[in-house]
Amino acid sequence: MIKHLIAGVKRGLGLHMPDRSLLILPDDIFLVSFPKSGNTWTRFLLANLRFPDQPATWANIDRAIPDPTGTTKRDFDRMPRPRIIKSHECFDPRYPRVVYIVRDPRDVVVSQYHYHRKIRKIADDSPIETFVARFLAGETCPHGSWGQNIATWLYTSEGNPRFLLLRYEDLVADTARELAKVVSFLNLSATPEQIAQAVERSSADRMRQLEKAQPDKNGLMRGSRKDLSFVRAAGSGGWRSDLPFPMVARIEAAWGPLMQHLGYELSTRSPLEARDSDSLGMLSSTPR
Amino acid sequence: MIKRLIAGGKHFLGMYPPGRRIEVLPDDIFLVSYPKSGNTWTRFLIANLVYPEKNPDFSNINDLVPDVEGMSKRDLARAPRPRVLKSHQYFDPRYPKIIYVVRDPRDVVLSEYHFDIKRRAIAEDFPLAQFVSRFVRGELNHPYGTWGENVATWLYTRRGDPRFLLVKYEALQSQTTDELRRIADFMGISPDPERLAFAARQSSADRMRELEKKQGHLWSSTRETRQDKPFVRSAKAGGWKMELPEASVAEIESAWGGLMREAGYEVAVSNMVPAGMERG
Repeated sequence: MIKHLIAGVKRGLGLHMPDRSLLILPDDIFLVSFPKSGNTWTRFLLANLRFPDQPATWANIDRAIPDPTGTTKRDFDRMPRPRIIKSHECFDPRYPRVVYIVRDPRDVVVSQYHYHRKIRKIADDSPIETFVARFLAGETCPHGSWGQNIATWLYTSEGNPRFLLLRYEDLVADTARELAKVVSFLNLSATPEQIAQAVERSSADRMRQLEKAQPDKNGLMRGSRKDLSFVRAAGSGGWRSDLPFPMVARIEAAWGPLMQHLGYELSTRSPLEARDSDSLGMLSSTPR
Repeated sequence: MIKRLIAGGKHFLGMYPPGRRIEVLPDDIFLVSYPKSGNTWTRFLIANLVYPEKNPDFSNINDLVPDVEGMSKRDLARAPRPRVLKSHQYFDPRYPKIIYVVRDPRDVVLSEYHFDIKRRAIAEDFPLAQFVSRFVRGELNHPYGTWGENVATWLYTRRGDPRFLLVKYEALQSQTTDELRRIADFMGISPDPERLAFAARQSSADRMRELEKKQGHLWSSTRETRQDKPFVRSAKAGGWKMELPEASVAEIESAWGGLMREAGYEVAVSNMVPAGMERG
């Protein structure tokens, strides 16, 4: 009862997190990805680009590029427009413009495994095999499985001029080039120097330093283990050494054609074999 | 301010329809479709199959197969379990078991057109071709995405999953009891042929039309609409061949040809691959 009342008062003052009740504005831009796919890094990049006078930190990022589950309604209402809003949701027809970041699921699962150890969702010695099985079933977060999340966006929006698909791997390989794509998609303007500064201010090294200095300033890591860092490898292809081969095979069997469509090379089987083993894989190639 | 307080009070008492924010229970079965795709008919079929003793009609269908968009959170929480819930939502990763009814979009748009006239969303002489363009662009007055978006988000995520049953409206039309048996199997009930036939009979278009005449003013979906236009209209497949302008057919097929084919609909337009889905 008391809990209800406190929630009610917070709601009255706009101090609650709007989540799905967020009022979406026609010029809103959504920065969407499955969790652990480079969303936070991209938020830093865009925050540093848009607000060069206030370099992004873990303390201010939720007000610069807000998160409907981590930013209060009051902060949302006070933001300069157009707002760039973080989301992990599956397809939502209300989002007016979307930047969707996709990352190789073999790296995503390793990243999520370490993150769940950090936030104490799983034990330190929890076997990665169990985690991969849960990851494939979409049980490691409330946003569907990797394949479901991606499929809902690709099959509805790919090719739409209001939808920009970015690969995390390309963002790692040439950050400035990819950031420039986002800038032009958003009809913003930025000089190469401004882009370079945003990239520099959002480097993995700088984000790690900030994380050390502000370990409890953000809901993503508040109260989590301090011996593990949020900004981990910040690279691509770590799965080659970190993910046991049978786990790689299971992921490729589940989502092979979808991965290939996104340019992720399979290491195990031919896509045709993978297609037979999974409905989602089967459907991710369009029959003629 | 007063409006906000009333809304807050209603919220507190659970007197609002939760829609997408419904609390999902592990044994829930969702009856999902895009609007105007046979959802109401399927609700009647299921209600007549599961609760024949309740004499399902327009006055109690909302209690038997509750609507997540039209009923209060409180009433939904009180529905008998396992709940069979009606929904028009696009993909929701939380729905455990799903019966998804898909219907030819060329018929869906006609049905929506007539329904929008009935509920006064458009004038009676609103040009059909213009309505089709709105339909394709997703500019209708509801929050469920376009036909293509709604169908694609479910098909490409859940098809092949044993907890997902795809039902074609057209098959439900042509072989009602066979399809109803598939639905019953999926729900874990095994009715004898008499019970299946009874449920089909009780949910026939003729009987639903009669019920609508007597009860149209009672049901939330028809209460404030024009009573001179029926909710249960032709209840047939393929009406588009007669009624839909050729250019409108082409517009629909070029938007969703690949998906329509995947769902088993014949498409005349030659370019079948949906935008951006070409595989090189």
